[in-house]
Amino acid sequence: MIKVVDLQKRFGTLRVLNGITNEVREGEVVCVIGPSGSGKSTFLRCLNLLEIPDGGQIYFDGVEITDLKKVDINQIRAEMGMVFQRFNLFPHMNVVENICLAPLKVRKCSREEAEARAYDLLRKVGLQEKALAYPDTLSGGQQQRVAIARALAMQPKVMLFDEPTSALDPEMIKEVLDVMKELAKEGLTMVVVTHEMGFAREVADRVLFMDEGLIIEENTPDQLFNSPQHERTKLFLSKIL
Amino acid sequence: MGYKWDLSVVVRFLPVLLQGAALTIQLTCIAVGMGILIGTFVGIGRVSKNKLLYTLSSIYVTFIRGTPMLVQLYLVYFGLPAYFGTIPPRMAAIITLSVNSGAYVAEIVRAGIQSIDRGQLEAARSLGMTYSQAMRYVLIPQTFKRIIPPLGNEFIALLKDSSIVSVIALEELVRKGSMIAGRTFRAFEIWTAVALLFLCMTLPITQLVNYAERWLKQND
Ligand SMILES: Nc1ncnc2c1ncn2[C@@H]1O[C@H](COP(=O)(O)OP(=O)(O)O)[C@@H](O)[C@H]1O
Ligand SMILES: [Mg+2]
Repeated sequence: MIKVVDLQKRFGTLRVLNGITNEVREGEVVCVIGPSGSGKSTFLRCLNLLEIPDGGQIYFDGVEITDLKKVDINQIRAEMGMVFQRFNLFPHMNVVENICLAPLKVRKCSREEAEARAYDLLRKVGLQEKALAYPDTLSGGQQQRVAIARALAMQPKVMLFDEPTSALDPEMIKEVLDVMKELAKEGLTMVVVTHEMGFAREVADRVLFMDEGLIIEENTPDQLFNSPQHERTKLFLSKIL
Repeated sequence: MGYKWDLSVVVRFLPVLLQGAALTIQLTCIAVGMGILIGTFVGIGRVSKNKLLYTLSSIYVTFIRGTPMLVQLYLVYFGLPAYFGTIPPRMAAIITLSVNSGAYVAEIVRAGIQSIDRGQLEAARSLGMTYSQAMRYVLIPQTFKRIIPPLGNEFIALLKDSSIVSVIALEELVRKGSMIAGRTFRAFEIWTAVALLFLCMTLPITQLVNYAERWLKQND
């Protein structure tokens, strides 16, 4: 579904991605782990072109999306949902308006259709009673669940999560992870940058370990966590497990 | 030392001064209204990635903010007729004040947009919205609230600066004061009255701005 070939990204003289090659298959859940600053966020943001790569190619459903002259960047992003560490809900809109905005303006859905789906999604993330609440009245965990619903409202083919629980108080992490597990169970394709090793173990089909802009090692969670091959993976896991 | 205050002059000419104040308010309201219209577009241009839009809006803002309003007024009133024929003073005043205000409002709008967290634009774009959709539905509505206090200050500044149009014979508050003072030789009384009238106009707005700032602090 997403194929990445020799992806490179620099910020000025800082080389953040140094040639990443990988493929995410349909229905797969891929977790990305690695030390802070290793380029995980940048990798994810390149996938939906929030960052424009400096080299290499990304194919989405067989189409090269890094060929910016040939593709409609907005149409591609509409097919990829993204959930951010800091939620980024629109504070001037209530929950339903947050969820409906993109379907209305990008997909040109009718209001009835958009709202019906919004309420369905809210039920799914367990927040139907918060439909008319404003983001600043919600807890972090609730905001993040709304953000997930907002991304899902576009019916994306793949969801990208960038440390969705790292800004949350510990007692709220579970409610967000539970929603994500549910999505994984339904067969949604997901790429998840996370420090939640328990989640990765339980849900991931494959785990990528990144360091210094490269994928150092990748494997099934069992293999990667129980018998890491690479020194740097071992060092990283020993620090966080 | 022996100067005796004669307040009857003020009382007698108060209606005339109030007429002037009315024109001052009228000119300022029109100019700030137009300024908001101009400033919104120019302010958006100032954060645009489009080189042409950015350059044009930057030149405009730099020129207006870097030159005296008096010179701008002369340019419009005495300069533009070279191309457009005579311009009535009132028209020249409105054009000058609006164009001037537009530049300052543009900077307010630019700062407002740039004060919004980057994540908002990214979230909007990640949902497939175009840059203009993200601006229109996500960023601009959030800047409204934030720019209310600086817009209030701009209104106060323009209210005071609008007195400059007295030099092209528009009978706003300062011009009226000047006329009456010249006729009655009661400069001290009249100019005190003019100053107080300005205060009567600016103080309520200052209060509103303060109130808005407090309200925003609570709600942000
Ligand atoms: N927009 C940017 N401009 C400059 N440097 C950046 C930018 N985004 C990220 N970086 C740098 O790139 C490196 C990798 O960042 P990131 O992808 O966020 O890592 P991670 O998500 O693994 O912590 C870091 O050194 C970071 O400071
Ligand atoms: Mg990161």
